[in-house]
Amino acid sequence: MHQEWTDQLSDYLDGELPAEEREAVEAHLRACAPCAAVLEDLKRIVARAATVAARPPDADLWAGIAARIEAGTASAPGRVMPFSPRESRRFTFTLPQLAAAAALLIAVSGGIAWNAAERIGASSSSVAVAQPVQTADAGRGADLQVRPESAAPASGTGAADFARVENVGLADAQYDAAVADLEKALQAGRGRLDASTVAIVEHNLQIIDQAINQARDALAGDPANSYLSSHLVEARRRKLDLLRRATALATETD
Amino acid sequence: MTLSGETPAGSGLDSDVALAAGGDQSAFERLYRTHVARIHSLTRRMLSSQEADEVTQDIFVRTWQKLGQFRGDSAFSTWLHRLAVNVVIERRRSFAIQRDRMTDDPTALDLLTVGPARADLKVDFEQAIDQLPPGAREIFVLHDVEGYKHREIAVMLEIATGTSKRQLHRARMLMRKHLSGD
Repeated sequence: MHQEWTDQLSDYLDGELPAEEREAVEAHLRACAPCAAVLEDLKRIVARAATVAARPPDADLWAGIAARIEAGTASAPGRVMPFSPRESRRFTFTLPQLAAAAALLIAVSGGIAWNAAERIGASSSSVAVAQPVQTADAGRGADLQVRPESAAPASGTGAADFARVENVGLADAQYDAAVADLEKALQAGRGRLDASTVAIVEHNLQIIDQAINQARDALAGDPANSYLSSHLVEARRRKLDLLRRATALATETD
Repeated sequence: MTLSGETPAGSGLDSDVALAAGGDQSAFERLYRTHVARIHSLTRRMLSSQEADEVTQDIFVRTWQKLGQFRGDSAFSTWLHRLAVNVVIERRRSFAIQRDRMTDDPTALDLLTVGPARADLKVDFEQAIDQLPPGAREIFVLHDVEGYKHREIAVMLEIATGTSKRQLHRARMLMRKHLSGD
């Protein structure tokens, strides 16, 4: 096998070689069985790749997608779904209810992490303010984004749409304290949530933790990358939000 | 490029696209169920099994948000697939430096963990893709599995066409090594 020839075999196979080079390759292949065998192997791989079957995910992902869509829809003015506890001791919440309740609860529970952080007296240079803002794709409903405290609302948007809903310090000490408090509260109240709700919350927490860990690892290699920094802040904020929603739902049933 | 699974004109799926663009979640769920296998397979092969679920959800949420921008200039499946590829590429860019991944590494062939060829070619083929280095895997999936051309890949990944060709050949040779157990 001659690497100077096999290096050209993919281009040859894909018809990317000029005529003169193609003829040279063909002449070599006629005289060199090992290189011709490599070409046959590559042909089989290309043919196999073109027919490799699509495989659906092991778990149905629709529930999570629907919840996120509902959360965006429920944030739109006039479309907030009312949330009220059921009568039974053990409560079951549908995903739309969970998402709609989250939109409301973000407003009333926004101070939880802030208060937790204040208790430990930690200070941070990376305090962020999360405000409900319309995304660039405003036609599909609102989303939550983290904005620096000094960031101005987008032009043409009413001040009421940008009412401050939470103050969350996302530096390590504040964040860890807030997460620990919320996890403790959730653990105490999880018996009041049905198993499917708990499973969804735990699954999403796992996903967010993965994102946080990946962002941290990437930042370790590229600490000046502002995109990675904002990605980490966003992932941490999402974890806080999720914990708040779940904790609020668990305590709402008392 | 021609993509398998394109939506025939006037099909029920076209109606579902229109309904979903108008806010009908049931129609959007039908679109999800039609396309999820292909989108999830794309994310799994280009990223990892661990990331595929989350990124697939991101893709469909993004699709819902952008449905109003779909003009029908191409088949919905083509539009969705391109959106998915863009989301995957954004994801990869956020966790790796493109320049480093695309650097030719003459020792890469020796670094791959090579397993013995097995009778279960279907599983083995997917595993072989999983074991490709990130840059080579990305281009192998886009070119040989998904059918994109080098010039399209070069634009999407912001690399030279020659780099795309070299990475593809590198990927195929690694696949050959893995599958043959050499």
